[in-house]
Amino acid sequence: MKPFRLMLSVALMSLSAVAFAQSDAQKSFDTMKTLAGSWEGQSAATGTPLDGKMMHVSLRVTSMGNALVHEMTGAGRPDDPITMLYLDGDRLLLTHYCDAGNRPRMAGKMSPDGKTVDFDFLDVAGSTQYGHMHHAVFTVIDANHHSEDWTYMMPGDKPVHARLDLQRIK
Amino acid sequence: MDREWNDNQPIYRQLRDRVVAMILDGVLREGDPLPSVRNVAAEYRVNHLTVLKGYQQLVDEQLVESKRGRGMFINTGARNLLLQGERQKFLAEEWPRVHATIQRLGLKPEELLAAGATRQTSAESSAKATGEER
Repeated sequence: MKPFRLMLSVALMSLSAVAFAQSDAQKSFDTMKTLAGSWEGQSAATGTPLDGKMMHVSLRVTSMGNALVHEMTGAGRPDDPITMLYLDGDRLLLTHYCDAGNRPRMAGKMSPDGKTVDFDFLDVAGSTQYGHMHHAVFTVIDANHHSEDWTYMMPGDKPVHARLDLQRIK
Repeated sequence: MDREWNDNQPIYRQLRDRVVAMILDGVLREGDPLPSVRNVAAEYRVNHLTVLKGYQQLVDEQLVESKRGRGMFINTGARNLLLQGERQKFLAEEWPRVHATIQRLGLKPEELLAAGATRQTSAESSAKATGEER
């Protein structure tokens, strides 16, 4: 009887661990969903300070709440990428439809303070001949401000980092 | 710079190629500043991340130098570096095909030089005529 009890408790512990993991991913997704709306703001890149409100970003909850669409918008711009965020079991995933022609996936993790969701590279579909997006960090500052850090890996693994400081406009 | 983009390669790569062409043609000279990321993004209606990637590629190739707070500048020796690269590319990729054709047709060096001289004279006359028309 004792071995059976032991097995049962191990199984229950494993199940509760899965439940907690799911809950973390769901929490991260819920945090990301609070960013739904239209945003604009300044951007800065490593070694290249920029000014002016030139970046526009929109986030939209869709598919009955199962997906979040992130778009860098600009009328007539052919190179604005789309990013889809969604839950995959106990993981929050992101697929970035890159203007470089590939589709990297990243897995998100929320910081202990619940304000930052950090997406790390998982894999990529399509050619990486011209590089690929490798890392993304979303930081919620308050209901009307958030920042995004995007790291693009050039061919030869040279990173290009850009930060967007965004303000809600809708 | 041309505002049209093709679908064959990413825009950042096309942007890089256009700056390279401008350096080779002497439109951009050593020490010249590159237009700001913001201006290029606005003027050519592209995402500024695209411009950054294009410029980073030029930095990686040591054709352009980034000066913190001042912008990007064409490096000393950039044109020579490009010419060296383009020459090597020609010799490695195009010359074997051209050489094979020369062999196949049995063309002699003096015939090739004469043909080259004729082309050059013709091009110079054409340029002179265009100049006189103006």
